[in-house]
Amino acid sequence: MSFTRMMEGNEAAAWAAKLARAEVVPAFPITPQTELISHIASLIENGTMKAEYIKVEGEHTAMAAAIGASAAGARVFTASSSQGVCYMEEALWMPPGLRLPIVMCFVNRAIAPIGGLRPDHNDSLLQRDNGWIQLYCENSQEALDTILMAYKIGENRDVYLPVAPCYDGYFVSATATPTVVPDQGRVDDWLPPYRHEMYSLHPDDFRRPPRPTNIAKARHEVQKAHDRAKKVIEDVDKDFEKVFGRGYDGFIEEYRCEDVDAVLITMGSMTGTARDVIDMMQEDGKRIGLVKLRGFRPFPSEEFREIAKKYQAVAVVDRNTSYGSAGGGIVSMELARALYPMDDRPLLLNFHVGLGGSDVTLRQIEYMADKTLEAAAKGRVEEAVDWVELHDLGEVM
Amino acid sequence: MNEAFDRRYDENMLQGGTTCCPGCGGPLFWKMALQALGPRTVIYGDGPCAMCAIRNIKIPTFNLHFSFVADGATGIVNAFKAKGWDDITVVSSAGDGATGDISFGKISAAAERNENMIQICVDNEAYMNTGIQKSGLTPYGAWTTTTPGGKESNKKDVPLIMAAHGIPYMATVSVAYPRDLQAKLGKAKDIEGFKYIHAVIPCPTGWRFDPAKAVEVSRLGVDTWAWPLYEVEEGVLRMSRKPEQKPVTEYLKAQGRFRRLSEEQIEYVQTTVDERRTNLLAMEGKRITL
Ligand code: SF4
Repeated sequence: MSFTRMMEGNEAAAWAAKLARAEVVPAFPITPQTELISHIASLIENGTMKAEYIKVEGEHTAMAAAIGASAAGARVFTASSSQGVCYMEEALWMPPGLRLPIVMCFVNRAIAPIGGLRPDHNDSLLQRDNGWIQLYCENSQEALDTILMAYKIGENRDVYLPVAPCYDGYFVSATATPTVVPDQGRVDDWLPPYRHEMYSLHPDDFRRPPRPTNIAKARHEVQKAHDRAKKVIEDVDKDFEKVFGRGYDGFIEEYRCEDVDAVLITMGSMTGTARDVIDMMQEDGKRIGLVKLRGFRPFPSEEFREIAKKYQAVAVVDRNTSYGSAGGGIVSMELARALYPMDDRPLLLNFHVGLGGSDVTLRQIEYMADKTLEAAAKGRVEEAVDWVELHDLGEVM
Repeated sequence: MNEAFDRRYDENMLQGGTTCCPGCGGPLFWKMALQALGPRTVIYGDGPCAMCAIRNIKIPTFNLHFSFVADGATGIVNAFKAKGWDDITVVSSAGDGATGDISFGKISAAAERNENMIQICVDNEAYMNTGIQKSGLTPYGAWTTTTPGGKESNKKDVPLIMAAHGIPYMATVSVAYPRDLQAKLGKAKDIEGFKYIHAVIPCPTGWRFDPAKAVEVSRLGVDTWAWPLYEVEEGVLRMSRKPEQKPVTEYLKAQGRFRRLSEEQIEYVQTTVDERRTNLLAMEGKRITL
């Protein structure tokens, strides 16, 4: 039976792992992911979920056990955050190259030393180059739905890649929002059991992909899988919406972008706050819209080029740092590359905000929106990279 | 005649040819071990020199790098458990550097969780595949490229450390004693939970001796008590062989890596060997763990 109740992101994610019938869950606790794995432990303990929960001694082992289990034919779920992700890094490079469709949640948290337990996106974005699909979620419901979709995407034979649903620690992981937990039977109908065409470690049916002889070609296979994943992600999202009544517009969602001059581009939980600010500002007649970036890997370059035509200015809100970079945060650099081939590019602004997990306030979003509109009006960008939290913006709304 | 060869080849779970050096104990070890383990076995392996031999195995294998000992196997064991496939033996193999150094914690953790696998240390006593560098399991006094003057510390006693985890079964083996080796692997296969097997294998390239003498050198290791053979089953220690003790110089002199040892150093090695022998004999038949 489907049911709806107020649920924190971590609990919603645990329900998703259960609904997906994950068979092996190797996990090591780290704040703010901890409640997710303890919810899974209780779902297993009370008989609601059937899975082998491996209480490993560290994140490096968590991912390695995930790799072994996935190659051996089991559907795998795990999750981590921050330092745990850094410690896991060596292992995180393996599943894409081995083409293992593991699902791992990044419960985003800032990386030490500068920052606390609260979220920014450096932990997951640090993993942007190793071949994981990354989908960013705004609330509990999206986390639950995205985890279910993640299996369907990753296990698609055109893809066979690991998928990382990412959601902000605390703001999503520990904030209760109304969440629909779909009926197990309907999920079963929608998500068939895991069977990997390339792998089996069973002695009666041993299969492994051949060792690559041409390294460049082997790497390009992973790139091609990402290229194919774009359509699969869109299709799975549409299909999910048809069956469960909730969709997320694939990679990017345009929120109130009709007749606007400029847009803010956000990722993760701050999108919810930004929606309110955009509502208020449009009420005041300001021509600013919002674009939520949901899929960061593969990066939706064509989709961005398509919509960017409509605006004079686009501003990326980067909840991450890339010290000494070509300019600004990681998302803004990706977007700059995506927009570069356009003949008539919009102005590009970049804001750093919410670093180390500090709150992103209504006032800060309004400030960024105003700056973006100002650039659109003037036809030029005065400050290409703006560290918003260095300004005293007066009263925090 | 040809048929007999073909049959022999079919029965042997190592493929013909090997990427290992002549006289390497690796293929020798795996040939014996696989005979004892049988075809319903999956080998998870880490680390190059231990891997050289397993690349040629005909049964299912899966490998990651040598910082991944026991962990991938943990995943495989649990996947099989989830599937209800309970008649497959999962073996996790690693070299000495992986076992004693970089993945030491991984093996300890898998032992503590009592994962249902056989963890094997294929110990050639240094990082050989990278060109002979010292590991935590390199013996005292041995030359390597990172200990050009001889190693200054002792070999880590991993077998006893593993036994101290209170695992169901632990055994040391040598390719010089195949029947003992195979009996122990056969036993490990039938025991539920975490089993640890430690094999010191001869490495002519790194130890500096004539490849034709591989088994001879290994036998000297056992007969001098430099590498005593014993097992700890359900916490109780039992010696597998109690050979009349030969002086350790016979073992040391057979290998170029110990060439530069002074008389004093040799005496020190003899003392450590004697102490180990005394300790083991004192523990024999007793419960050594909880
Ligand atoms: S270096 Fe030693 S262990 Fe490695 S293959 Fe050669 S003989 Fe065997």
